Amino acid sequence: MPKPNHHIFADGELSRNEGTLRIDTLDGDTEYLPVESVDSLYLHGQIDFNTRSLGLLNEHNVPLHVFGWKDYYRGSYLPKRGQVSGNTIVEQVRAYDNLERRLQIGHKIIEASIHNMRANLRYYDGRRGNFSSAVNELEELKQTVASTASIDDLRAVEGNARKAYYACFDDILRDPFTLQKREYNPPSNEANAAISFLNSMVYTTSVSAIRKTALDPTVGFVHEPGERRFTLSLDIADIFKPILADRVLFRLVNRQQLSISDFEDELKGSLLTESGRMTVLEAYEKTLDETIEHPRLNRKVSFKTLVQTDVYSLKKHVLTGEPYHATERWW
Amino acid sequence: MVQYYHVCRRELWFMSRGIDIDRQTTNIQRGTHVDKTSYSDSRQSFMIGNRIQLDVLDSGDVMEVKVSSTLETPARMQLLFYLWFLQEIYGIEKDGVLAYPTERKRESVELTSETTERVESTVAGILGVVSQDEPPQLEKKPYCESCLYQDLCWM
Ligand code: SF4
Repeated sequence: MPKPNHHIFADGELSRNEGTLRIDTLDGDTEYLPVESVDSLYLHGQIDFNTRSLGLLNEHNVPLHVFGWKDYYRGSYLPKRGQVSGNTIVEQVRAYDNLERRLQIGHKIIEASIHNMRANLRYYDGRRGNFSSAVNELEELKQTVASTASIDDLRAVEGNARKAYYACFDDILRDPFTLQKREYNPPSNEANAAISFLNSMVYTTSVSAIRKTALDPTVGFVHEPGERRFTLSLDIADIFKPILADRVLFRLVNRQQLSISDFEDELKGSLLTESGRMTVLEAYEKTLDETIEHPRLNRKVSFKTLVQTDVYSLKKHVLTGEPYHATERWW
Repeated sequence: MVQYYHVCRRELWFMSRGIDIDRQTTNIQRGTHVDKTSYSDSRQSFMIGNRIQLDVLDSGDVMEVKVSSTLETPARMQLLFYLWFLQEIYGIEKDGVLAYPTERKRESVELTSETTERVESTVAGILGVVSQDEPPQLEKKPYCESCLYQDLCWM
């Protein structure tokens, strides 16, 4: 069983107290956090921390993800690699540098991503709208993935799939939530704000999973390494966004656990309030812990483990040439 | 290496490449624990050539410890390898004891012409596996369930 993540919302100070993390909040509370029981630590408030606390996180291999207010994700402090393997990185870069191999991996990632979008639409088809034409369109786009011969073409197919997929959101989401159009910087309305926040959580979940292997998070296959973020994490996140982010959003909105009052308007945009974020995070973390029977592993695995095993599968592929199984929803 | 060769050649290949996955499985911890705690015998550990650690009993026998007798062949081969190594490289002749502390069982192990042949073919086999570019084909083994590489192999 993977360890749980820990989120700190308060404003205050993070420090090290011998072998324990100590959090002093501005309201005068002190909390001690046993670092060995944490998978990844998330800071959501205004928190000062020093190198000694980072050192402790480093010793226990705990990644730290920092979230800001307007731009949800600020950055990560990653522990020094526990897994040093020059071999893995060399093979990863080789796979990246060989267009055929890069495309082969890219195809798997985008096929899985489209498959998982389509699985969501099929679930809601007939319940909240008629999505059969979008389902078919995604199926056809998935078929064309294998024949794309450049990364640009591959990303164009992925872009079209996302467009068809997001076009269904207005029907899936209960009123008054609408997506209209997917917009990021800043998110233009409530649904966009929630998706941005959830997507950044999927991204950090992928960052943490990749850190547990010797793979280099900066060398992605679909995304270009020049981008600002860890491009391999972006690749892996694309597979899991429909499973981990979108489903959480649909459930929260349709069960009315999330309402328009959980957002506040900002200049030209919309943001989750603190209590809105907590609601979303709670649902997200619960989803990470949900388990399903895994047909190849013959045991139950949590969604969090599923992200990890996807990364292992990619690592195995890079090192041995055996097939990479990007996670396609089977349940 | 000898044990891995007899447990799973794929695992041997992964080890030889330094391929590792998150090392937190209970099986590994259990093995180490039994090894460290279950002895009243007086024994001494020797390092040979920086790589091989031998436990030698007061009687002079070389001892190998197993958590349970399920992986008997690998443990026996490991011990035979030590004995063979001592004889080949240092000209020292020793006998061995295979101990299963949790089952309160011991067995003696000797180098004979037949066991020597098995060790030598094992060593040749190991060299064959680690020199391949690809890992040996995946096959389901009972041991997979508790193997460190499970999530790598089957994903
Ligand atoms: S999971 Fe099975 S096949 Fe893979 S290394 Fe372990 S024992 Fe060998």
